[in-house]
Amino acid sequence: MFVLYEHASGYVLVHCEQTDDISELNANDYASFGQLVKLKAFQPFTSAAIALDNMNAVSEGLVHADLKKFLVNNVPKGQSVGINDQRLLQVVKEELDMSVAGGDIVLEICRGVRMHVHQMIKPLTLAKEGGAQLGLSHSYSRTKVKFNVNRMDNMVI
Amino acid sequence: GRGGARGGGAKVIVEPHRHGGVFIAKGKEDVLVTKNLVPGDTVYGEKKIEVEVPAPEGSANPIQKVEYRSWNPFRSKLAAAILGGVDKIHIAPGKRVLYLGAASGTTVSHVSDIVGPEGLVYAVEFSHRSGRDLLNVAKKRTNIVPIIEDARHPHKYRMLVGMVDCVFADVAQPDQTRIVALNAHHFLKAEGHFVISIKASCIDSTAKPEAVFASEVKKMKAEKMKPQEQLTLEPYERDHAVVVGIYRPPPKK
Repeated sequence: MFVLYEHASGYVLVHCEQTDDISELNANDYASFGQLVKLKAFQPFTSAAIALDNMNAVSEGLVHADLKKFLVNNVPKGQSVGINDQRLLQVVKEELDMSVAGGDIVLEICRGVRMHVHQMIKPLTLAKEGGAQLGLSHSYSRTKVKFNVNRMDNMVI
Repeated sequence: GRGGARGGGAKVIVEPHRHGGVFIAKGKEDVLVTKNLVPGDTVYGEKKIEVEVPAPEGSANPIQKVEYRSWNPFRSKLAAAILGGVDKIHIAPGKRVLYLGAASGTTVSHVSDIVGPEGLVYAVEFSHRSGRDLLNVAKKRTNIVPIIEDARHPHKYRMLVGMVDCVFADVAQPDQTRIVALNAHHFLKAEGHFVISIKASCIDSTAKPEAVFASEVKKMKAEKMKPQEQLTLEPYERDHAVVVGIYRPPPKK
């Protein structure tokens, strides 16, 4: 199974041959996780604006053109792709006519990738990962606050 | 020392607290403090305390100034829990913390002091009014990742958050245990910890606080969250409890 992981610095695709061994796996240990889950592709965002654009799409459960290209180019024909979001999963299934998977196994694989992504992707270090999250969070949160024209609280009560 | 800051004459000594990254300033009265990550800057009008310490060998100036910020337990539940004698806070230098219900960032700023430049605080707040203040705090403190989003929907901000050592929650919502569990499933390491502040009246204003805390603890157990410690926040807060626990505890051998 292939699994999509959306990171602040780009899209990540991993491959897992034996999903049977994954459930409730203790992903804290990179030695055992790295044996089961391999990096297939990484497509970095080339600018802060592109990262924000993709982040906005991902948070709304929409397939950005960049993501579409990434999946079509990297998921082999006939293979299914795991997506850790029910909405995005449905949209990919309908728009890209791909077979998709979700549920606990995908969640577990994404937890493991979140834990070890800085080791799986060469140029990414823990410090750089934090830097990417910082930059993207500021631009994302700024637009959230800015577009609230009424300057009202959006609390859900 | 030497006149001290802001006209204070008394000599203040700062000692490390049992919890790493937390300190106590011993003067006329003992005050809980954290070491200011951004010396010179205050966040919400809190007092600064400056002490002089011997500089490391080879420095040009033999005396070094270190600045701390006082931390008011009546304004921060985490500070109240520390002064109340909580055993572990699981927030320490170098740690990564997901903070749900960050509000204007007052307590978050102290957490940012504690984890220091090597740590990170992912601060989630949904209210845009508080969010503006939080963004301003995060501008100066570069170990805070500000996230203006609903903590009920962690999938919306999954791109911004890495795996964390600890989830701290002060969301004051009736379904707060579920909110913490959802976030833990995405972002909290196996054997990572959670610290939840529970306000009984926010969950059920008719039931007795003890009954509310007991039912919340039961909900946690259904979500792979094992409570390890519970304490009330008296005398700083009424009908509040803090529950500390471990997520996905290792199987007993």
